[in-house]
Amino acid sequence: MSGAIGKPTPYIDAVQKVTGQAMYADDFKFPNMLYVRFLRSTESHAKIKSLNVTEVEASSGVVAVITGKDIPQPFGVLSISRDETAMAIEKVRYQGEIVAAVAAETIEAAEAAVKRFRVEYEPIKEFYTPEDSLKTCESHEQIHPHTKDHKNIHKTAELRFNEPEKELETAKHKQTGNFKFAGVTHGFTEPHSAVAMWNGDETLTVISATQVPHYLHKNLSKVLGLPLHKIQVKKPVLGGGFGGKSDPFPHEMIVSYLAMKTKRPVKCTFSREEVFITHHGRHPTEIAMSISCDDDGKLTALDTDIIIDGGAFGSFGVVTSYYNGVLLQGPYKLDKFGFRTRRTYTNKHQCGAMRGHGAVNPRYAVETLLDMMAHDMKMDPCDLREKNFLSEHSSTVGEFRITSNGIRDCIAAVRKKSDWDNRYGKLPFGRGLGVACGFFISGSALPILWNRYPQTVVHAKLDFDGRIVMFSGASEIGQGSDTMLVQIAAEELGIPMDFVQVEVADTKTTPVDLGSYSSRVTFMVGNAAKTAASNVRSEMAKAIAKEKDVSAESLIFKNGRIFTKDKSLDISWEEGVEMAMAGRGAFVESGFYISPKLGGKFKGAGAGLSPSYSFGAFISEVEVNPKTGETNVKKVWGAHDCGKALNPLAVEGQIEGSIHMGLGQVMSEEMRYNNGQQMNANFFDYRIPSSLDTPDMDVTIIESNDPEGPYGAKEAGEGPIHPVLPSIGNAVFDAVGIRMMELPITPDKVLKKLKETA
Amino acid sequence: MEYYHSPDTIQDAFSIAEKCDGNFIYFAGGTDVQIYRKQNLDKNDHIIDLSSIHDLNSISLKDGNLTLGAMTSLGDIITSNKIQNKYPLLVEAAKSVATPVIRKTATIGGNILVRNRCTFYNQSQEWRNGVGSCLRDVGDICQVTGGKNDCYSRNVSDTAAALIALNAEITLLNSAGVSQQPLKDIFLPCGIKFHDLGNDNILTQISVSMKPKRWWYKKLRLRKTLDFTSLTVAATIDINNIARICLNGVSMTPILIEEPLETLTLENLIKQARKNCKTVDNDLMPLKYRREMINVFLEEWWEYEHRK
Amino acid sequence: MEKVALTVNGFTQLVLVESHETILDTIRNRLNLTGTKKCCDEGTCGSCTIMMDGKPVLGCLTPTLRCVGKKILTIEGISAGENLHSVQKHLVKSLGLQCGFCTPGVVMTAVPFLEENPKPSRDEIKENLSGNLCRCTGYKKIIDAVENAAEEMQS
Repeated sequence: MSGAIGKPTPYIDAVQKVTGQAMYADDFKFPNMLYVRFLRSTESHAKIKSLNVTEVEASSGVVAVITGKDIPQPFGVLSISRDETAMAIEKVRYQGEIVAAVAAETIEAAEAAVKRFRVEYEPIKEFYTPEDSLKTCESHEQIHPHTKDHKNIHKTAELRFNEPEKELETAKHKQTGNFKFAGVTHGFTEPHSAVAMWNGDETLTVISATQVPHYLHKNLSKVLGLPLHKIQVKKPVLGGGFGGKSDPFPHEMIVSYLAMKTKRPVKCTFSREEVFITHHGRHPTEIAMSISCDDDGKLTALDTDIIIDGGAFGSFGVVTSYYNGVLLQGPYKLDKFGFRTRRTYTNKHQCGAMRGHGAVNPRYAVETLLDMMAHDMKMDPCDLREKNFLSEHSSTVGEFRITSNGIRDCIAAVRKKSDWDNRYGKLPFGRGLGVACGFFISGSALPILWNRYPQTVVHAKLDFDGRIVMFSGASEIGQGSDTMLVQIAAEELGIPMDFVQVEVADTKTTPVDLGSYSSRVTFMVGNAAKTAASNVRSEMAKAIAKEKDVSAESLIFKNGRIFTKDKSLDISWEEGVEMAMAGRGAFVESGFYISPKLGGKFKGAGAGLSPSYSFGAFISEVEVNPKTGETNVKKVWGAHDCGKALNPLAVEGQIEGSIHMGLGQVMSEEMRYNNGQQMNANFFDYRIPSSLDTPDMDVTIIESNDPEGPYGAKEAGEGPIHPVLPSIGNAVFDAVGIRMMELPITPDKVLKKLKETA
Repeated sequence: MEYYHSPDTIQDAFSIAEKCDGNFIYFAGGTDVQIYRKQNLDKNDHIIDLSSIHDLNSISLKDGNLTLGAMTSLGDIITSNKIQNKYPLLVEAAKSVATPVIRKTATIGGNILVRNRCTFYNQSQEWRNGVGSCLRDVGDICQVTGGKNDCYSRNVSDTAAALIALNAEITLLNSAGVSQQPLKDIFLPCGIKFHDLGNDNILTQISVSMKPKRWWYKKLRLRKTLDFTSLTVAATIDINNIARICLNGVSMTPILIEEPLETLTLENLIKQARKNCKTVDNDLMPLKYRREMINVFLEEWWEYEHRK
Repeated sequence: MEKVALTVNGFTQLVLVESHETILDTIRNRLNLTGTKKCCDEGTCGSCTIMMDGKPVLGCLTPTLRCVGKKILTIEGISAGENLHSVQKHLVKSLGLQCGFCTPGVVMTAVPFLEENPKPSRDEIKENLSGNLCRCTGYKKIIDAVENAAEEMQS
């Protein structure tokens, strides 16, 4: 590769971001704009007995007041669980649920007005734990009427291959564990914010901090009864998502409805507490898991039963339920494999997708059990893993197609860099090393809402100015997708990056893309962008070839020039543009990506299918203070197979960010509840690691060159988080000999366990 | 309505205070109090911002006696060579408060008088509406203990622990004049009214004359920054071999144990500490663990003190 | 409401503000300087860091009326009309940012820090940034950037 691909590349929007010029949703202000504040439920589960809005409507500066029945159409990111409305209707299901909304001339006026609602609730039996929700109850006590058998179970996902339970019954080497994981949240820095405008041509424009403009667009249409062609969703610069902005949200419906109703721009920006209430983070999870292996350390079976605590609504929960199980099919080869996941509704903030969706907690369980197995069999934990890796170009028991696979290089790299062979098991008491591996989808092969389109389309436009504009619906959320579009066009056309600009994430002007979730953008949008740009090149080459009487195939596009190998023709990019546009003017070329047909025919076979999978191996070093139970993560070595690093700087950034986020979940972060009320809905008490809490990091990029990825690339944004947590848990065992089966690994738990085992 | 006043002199501050008739709050740095304002936990109409009173911002070391103006920022204390040399314990304590940027605004006076905290109290108005009752806020039941009488909110001042271990005195000014008293005496064992300065007094100075032979400091928290303490222990040995061990974060006031090192036993120390600390489950770290850590910290100090 | 003269980024103007307002809300909502970000609004994240008379302060905890007669500098004033400050330049170059939301606060913390402490150790940089919450980068590349900026400013 000669151009922009593979070079460490600063983000194209970085200067805007360091100078404060980048416009995030809350930075938009329009003439005559109204501000929205909400009445939120103080009850966890209750009938709304009465709701009086008279005083609110009379409050100074109030322009509109709406309640649940104004926007009754249910919605949800998955068509199979549209169980949420913009505001509570008749009953509330969690503390903090929106009950009514006020639009007023100023934020202060809206805030003052909200205090004047008169609302009465009649409590219904609350369900705060999955244990409660699994029991039968009276039908009027059910959180949602649609759940079966008078229980509050939202979804049961189960798949079994080759009777793992039979193997486990008789297995000689077997490990079993019960694990418990607290819920964690994304903690992105930019609070949710949305501005809606009703335009003179009777169309709706919504500027929202969303990862999924397309799904928001479709849900807005459904909820507002507005035809798809009258809606425009624009994603401005976005301050972090990690899955937390990948659902359509009530506030987006509310500001849109209010804009239509008042014919004025309407804005809503959340407080940090509201961000916590909105949540959609990782599910609190309980896992019972068993694995077995033969005398050589080859895995023979894995069986697991998982309960995830979904909170009050569905969100991505059906997918989460499957991912908890199906994503255990790698990176180790397993022939006998089974899982059951039950997702319960509870009267708490709803859970959804978060970085590493569904697979982070069960990955911790598997890697811990493997470590226990290695310990009992007196094998090196790295060796044991190496015996079991899936090979390249193979298939898993659930018929996932494995293409490129760099996991052996990954583990070799961290093993060497951490000096594992000389140090594991040999460090003084209180100090330890742990290893873990991981595996993740590189884009979901199936769309969330079924359709026959490709998963993404990119347009590349060439015009008189000689610039290429890449039009893509892909959502830059900080991961670098805009920069990738530019790099790819520059690479394909042999021009400097500053000849390429982007128009992105606007459902009116950019072609459809499904969104930034499931680590799909690099693989899918990358491929589409590559095709679009190379189609521009072909068109240009055809025109130049015709005019200059050379063969189109002989033309080389490089360093801003277009030439033949012998330089008998050597023209500038601008000259090439003139020739290409002669007689036809500006033109647009398209590229799309549609994943190959994949997977088995059984029910549930679609879950976890991806055109490619990423792999990784991490080693962590910890120091445990046996007196206080405090654990200090000293260093993390991470190696991740991303196929090909299109932008090594961005790939490193993703891996480092994953280490930080994984560290948070394993060490200090936790959604703490007292009944249905979150005790730590702020950044004081929800403890995200600071710069001082984050360990040294050593990142290795492994390039396995995926045959179908753009230039060989696969994902790097989510896969690296999985091994982080168990590598730290396993290091704690090496340090002080205790198995941490419950996250986060807070000092009190360590101390308790140390005392129990003493 | 809300009114903001920014007097240049203490006398101006007093006369404004008098006019406000109790309906005011003093801002030192304001980094803590501002959050109480936002959460509607402080509802006074008048803010009297003391940050323009430059007389209160000073560090002086004369004959080994340290005098700090109450409005001296924690950042200035940390970077003061004089204090680093003579009172490293105070520097350690100040460094363990909040974050570097906040410490540039937060003052020593403000940190000494930092408001007591509780997991059920330090929440937004909307959040508290969901609970309905808190002895310190509204209603007559404590969510922590279920009791109806006593509030056990925690004193979380790290610098108060250090200064009490240093036997610090404070200077108070009111319209009647100046008075001095040991810092440890201003705290009241009540989670609602946790010091007795009232509205009449302004804390103007902190002075330390003790020259500790040895000192020790440790703060329990989950992160290495920002977190309020779950347990702070500051200890000194003075030239007469008196040990002063001050615990904070585990009771309504800082708890001082003062005894000649000679007669002090670890067992007795722990016993006294556990007895005097009214520790309840009002922090995110579990109660049992925090109690255990009282023992562990004291043992650690003991080992440090008796190391060979 | 009160009418006050505020000097922000070298320009003094009259502004009508509420007495309880914080300078964060004033500069964002009344002066339209939206580069300073509101992330937690309770002093826990550092995103709203600005400078007051050369000293970094948290916009969300600083009463606007305290800023009267002081020189306020926001992210918009750091490189206005000139080249990027070294800290900004290296944040760009080292990818010391991803989503960019914490970035203005990081710049406004690191710039006065390097003025006060031109030759910081890596640990000192880490300590100084410990009040700036970043959820994207894992801090490593931010620390790299500040380290590189310090080096460049020395030479």
